[in-house]
Amino acid sequence: MTTIVGIKTKEGVILGSDKRASKGFFIGSKITEKIAKIDDTLAVAIAGQLSDAEYMIKVAKAERRLMELRRGFSLTVKESARLIANLAYSGLKNYHPYFVELIVAGVDQEGGHIFAADMSGAITGEDFASSGSGSPIAYGVLESVYNKDITNEQAKEIATKAVAAAMERDPGSGNGIDVLVIPNLLMVRERVIH
Amino acid sequence: MAEMGSASSGIGNNNTRYPYYYGPEGRLVLVDSALEAVSRGSTTIGIKTPNFALISSHIKPTKPLVEPAEKIFAIDTHVGATGSGYIGDILQLIDEIRLAAQKHRLTYESPIDISSLAKHLSSYLHNYTIYAIRPQAASIIIAGIDQTGVQLYQVDPSGTFFRGAGFAIGQYSDTALDLIHRGYSADMSMEQAIQLGSKAIEKALGEERPLVETGIITAKDSSFKKMVNK
Repeated sequence: MTTIVGIKTKEGVILGSDKRASKGFFIGSKITEKIAKIDDTLAVAIAGQLSDAEYMIKVAKAERRLMELRRGFSLTVKESARLIANLAYSGLKNYHPYFVELIVAGVDQEGGHIFAADMSGAITGEDFASSGSGSPIAYGVLESVYNKDITNEQAKEIATKAVAAAMERDPGSGNGIDVLVIPNLLMVRERVIH
Repeated sequence: MAEMGSASSGIGNNNTRYPYYYGPEGRLVLVDSALEAVSRGSTTIGIKTPNFALISSHIKPTKPLVEPAEKIFAIDTHVGATGSGYIGDILQLIDEIRLAAQKHRLTYESPIDISSLAKHLSSYLHNYTIYAIRPQAASIIIAGIDQTGVQLYQVDPSGTFFRGAGFAIGQYSDTALDLIHRGYSADMSMEQAIQLGSKAIEKALGEERPLVETGIITAKDSSFKKMVNK
């Protein structure tokens, strides 16, 4: 169930989600938060088993903080995505997969990045991505209007539109839309503690 | 070690309580011995400017027909290291940080930063100082590049590590370091630094044209390279 989208722009990254949590044919919650902030520069949108996703996010949060303290600067978005993918992969190979499809979105020194991570442990870098039962519908919107030169403001609108379209036709998605914008860093290179 | 323990406490002044660790002055005697061994090792130096880092190590003359040992080691594409002390211990430590570098690539899909390497080596060495075992008799100099620029570290058998622009370890390292300190400037060229390095080793050894191996890393191409022996 669920619809989540992630969009990369030249100004940053945008995540969008619906707010419905399904329990079979029953709506379990109408106010679910499916976009989890890991810190000020990284967030994850969740599709799939919430408990699994929550655990992975907790681990990612701890590892990221730890790494920042140890080496003096934080993990890049790709490093964070790889960390999460490794966790997913080890779950898969231990016959206890994490039933999740995540969109990892964030900004670092190189700008904004969107990664799609799933229970297989694979990660793919994308310009835009969608996941969940509503994703085929959301992709229809994204494919028709996305281009590389949009602003964060435009991407916010596209994300909202894509999730809204999915909510109209996908029974697993609904009850409102959340959007998170992560603007690019001001390209500060030095913030290093030794 | 129960048979050696006495009920009275006090670390420094009771030499029956911690015989393997602390000497009468409260120093770790095994670590001091390891440092002493390093100070008899081959003279080895490191120089860093914002644009490049360079490591050089003296290779002691071998018997005829024996090939001289390798002293400059590539750790990863962006890191190199050298050391002074027992060559067996150096090789062990080199392998330890090579492993750390590859583990980082597996976990984060990115090259490891140099401070993490130095800290890893530091905690590895520190482990040998808290048990009654032989500490590693080797100091390591690591040169590399990461997001924070060109980096140079020295790690000692105690686990102590230093970040800086000039280091010297091994035989007569005080003389070598003094020369580097006096000849150093942050805007010196690579050629000047190489010359300064070999002059420092020459002066320390009091020997003309000793066999020296050198490795360099520049901010420009950020890949560690061993230089051909002169």
